[in-house]
Parts: sequence; C-alpha cells; structure tokens
Amino acid sequence: MLGAITSAIANPHLTKVAENTITQVGIETTLKAIGRPTAILIDNDISADTKEYAAAKEFLYQATCLVTYLFLIVPVFKKGGFKLAKNVLFKNHPEFQKFENAKEFEYYTKLAKKSVADRKLTLQKEKVKDKYHPDVRKDLETNEKPEKYPLISSTIGVFNLLGSVLGLAVLAPQVSHAFIHPALRLIGLEEKNKKHSEKAEHSNKVDTKA
Amino acid sequence: MNEAASKVLERVFLKLGNLHKPIYPVMMIAAVKGICRPAFTMMDKTEEPETKRYTALREGLTEIIAIPTYFACGKVSASLANLFPAKMRGNAATNLMFMGVCAAALFAIPALCSVAIKPIMDVLHKKKSPQPQMQPILLSGTVKPTKFPVKYYNNFHSLNTFSSRMPDTYRLNNRIGGV
Repeated sequence: MLGAITSAIANPHLTKVAENTITQVGIETTLKAIGRPTAILIDNDISADTKEYAAAKEFLYQATCLVTYLFLIVPVFKKGGFKLAKNVLFKNHPEFQKFENAKEFEYYTKLAKKSVADRKLTLQKEKVKDKYHPDVRKDLETNEKPEKYPLISSTIGVFNLLGSVLGLAVLAPQVSHAFIHPALRLIGLEEKNKKHSEKAEHSNKVDTKA
Repeated sequence: MNEAASKVLERVFLKLGNLHKPIYPVMMIAAVKGICRPAFTMMDKTEEPETKRYTALREGLTEIIAIPTYFACGKVSASLANLFPAKMRGNAATNLMFMGVCAAALFAIPALCSVAIKPIMDVLHKKKSPQPQMQPILLSGTVKPTKFPVKYYNNFHSLNTFSSRMPDTYRLNNRIGGV
C-alpha cells in the first residue's frame, strides 16, 4: 500500500506535467474552478440566492480564464515567441535555422526520446519524409542521444512563462469580465439577483420610514 | 538584433528556461496580478474613489498573502521528499511541490485571506479615515448648547438697583390723592 502511494507520488509522468508551465497552470486553474464555487456553496453564513450567484460567477470567471488561456494565449505566445526569436532575437543563431516552427521542434523532442530504430521507421513515413533539416535528420538516424537544442527549448519555456503571467494576470480577466455578465443573464441569475437586491432595498426603505 | 544584446538575451533565456519548479510560475502570476489588478481598479472611472481605494487595497493584499503562501506550501511539501528512497527523491520533490502549490491555491490562500484580510483592512481603514476634529462650539453656530433645567425667579423686588422705589403694596394702599 505504502509502496503504491510512494510510486504514485514519484511518478515520472506527473513530474513532466508538473514541470510544464502550461499543464501546471491549467490544472491549477481547473482546481480553482471546481474548488472555489464548492467552498462558496458550503458556506452557511450566506443566503441561498447570494451563494448561487457568487458560486456561478466564480465558476464562470475561472472557466473563461482557463479557456482563454489554453486556446488563445498559449498558441499565440508559443508560435509568436518562436517566430520572434527566429527572425529577430536570435536571427543568425544556427539552432533556430534548423527548425521551421515550434510544432516541428516539439515533434523532434518526442522523436528524440525514442530508440534509433523507432526513429528511422517514423522518419520514413509520408508525414515527416521531407520535414526536417538534413543535419537534424542525420542526427536522429545515427545518434543514440541526439542534440537537445537548449536555446530553443529555453525560448519556448520563457515564452510559455511570459504568456502564462501576462495572459492570466492581464488578458484573461478582461475577456472573462466581458463574458460573465451576459452569461449570468442568460442563466437567469443576474435578473434574480437584481430583483433580490431591489427587494432588500425596498424592505430597507420601509424599515427606515417606520 | 545587435550581436552583444543577442548574447545577453541568450544567457538570460537559458537561465529562465531552466526554471522548472512549479512554484515559480504561480509566484510570478501572483506578483503581476498584485500590481495589475489594483492598477486596473484604480483606473476605473465609474466607481467612487473611496470604493476604488478599498477594492484595490483588498486585491493587492490578497496577492501579497498569496506569494509567500505559494512559496511556503511548495517548499514544505517538497521537503517531504526526503522521506522517499534516494532513487525517487528528485521526481517526488517536484511532484510534491506541485501538490503543495495546488493545496495552497485551493485551501491555504482562501483560508489565510479570510482570516487576515479583514483585521488588516480595518486597521488600514481606521488609519486612513480622518480623525474627528474638535468643533469650535461658540463659532460654529450649528451646535446647540446643552440645556440645563433652569428655574426662573422673579427677583425684581430684591434688586438693590431700585432701592429708592416704594414697595408695590405701599403704592397701592396709599395712592396720592386717592386716585
């Protein structure tokens, strides 16, 4: 039992997930999207209507942040970052001249982890037949441990980090704020809440006059 | 781009690209949020200045609490990797740190915020709100003087000012000429 737990905690697949900024931030935001509304719903000090409204709002905020982050910010920063590095920041660097885009490099890193025989088989497929630079192809077909291209992987890592920080702290909240109120109105929670607050206001007025 | 600048950038990128620990991105996100969110709130023109200041302060405080909490939770949970066999220690440290970060985001930060923010906000709000000043009572004209129970006496007869004046009874009984 203890052995199973320790091996689960030290799982190398989980380590890969934990070391990747995108998956890590994605998982964390998913947990927030589930955990925070649950915490609001459990709270007994708030009225049922307010709880429902606050939980829905929190869930929508986190969910839209996650969707914006995964489908808008990550691709833009990954593709754009690689292009910027290749054409402007490290224009004459030999590492960047061997790859067309970030996707090609990512596929290369996947291939590099396989055995030489497997790599040869994969490289003969139609999809990747004329894909790689001759030097890269030769390296994959002959070397047991092919080149790692640290600058390219670092550049992708840096732009992932930059995208995560700017995206989650600045861009995603703006998008989600624009989306939340129409969505809440569509569900019917915004109107309900308005009526509730109007009721409260009305009762307050009556109380003050009395 | 300039060759020298490109070299410097290369060194910076190689260093930053190796920051694979799970606490770094979340701490960086919290730091940028701590600056940007209050700034955006203060730029909002529809809100009242006092409300804006309160909200911005609250948002800033939340992120200030989040940064050390992420760090502490990550480091403490990663230190548990020492209990693992040497072979597994590296992976276990990263995974435990990631779990610590998730636990911080889900439980520790909301709990700490609910405990710490209200008292801090109360203290800061008290300090910021203007102290009640002493009103110049005599000059203001708006403050009503306190009313004490006053008993009015008709002390006209006892006044020494009109000592030469005859008493009323004498005047009524001894009218000159009987008029």
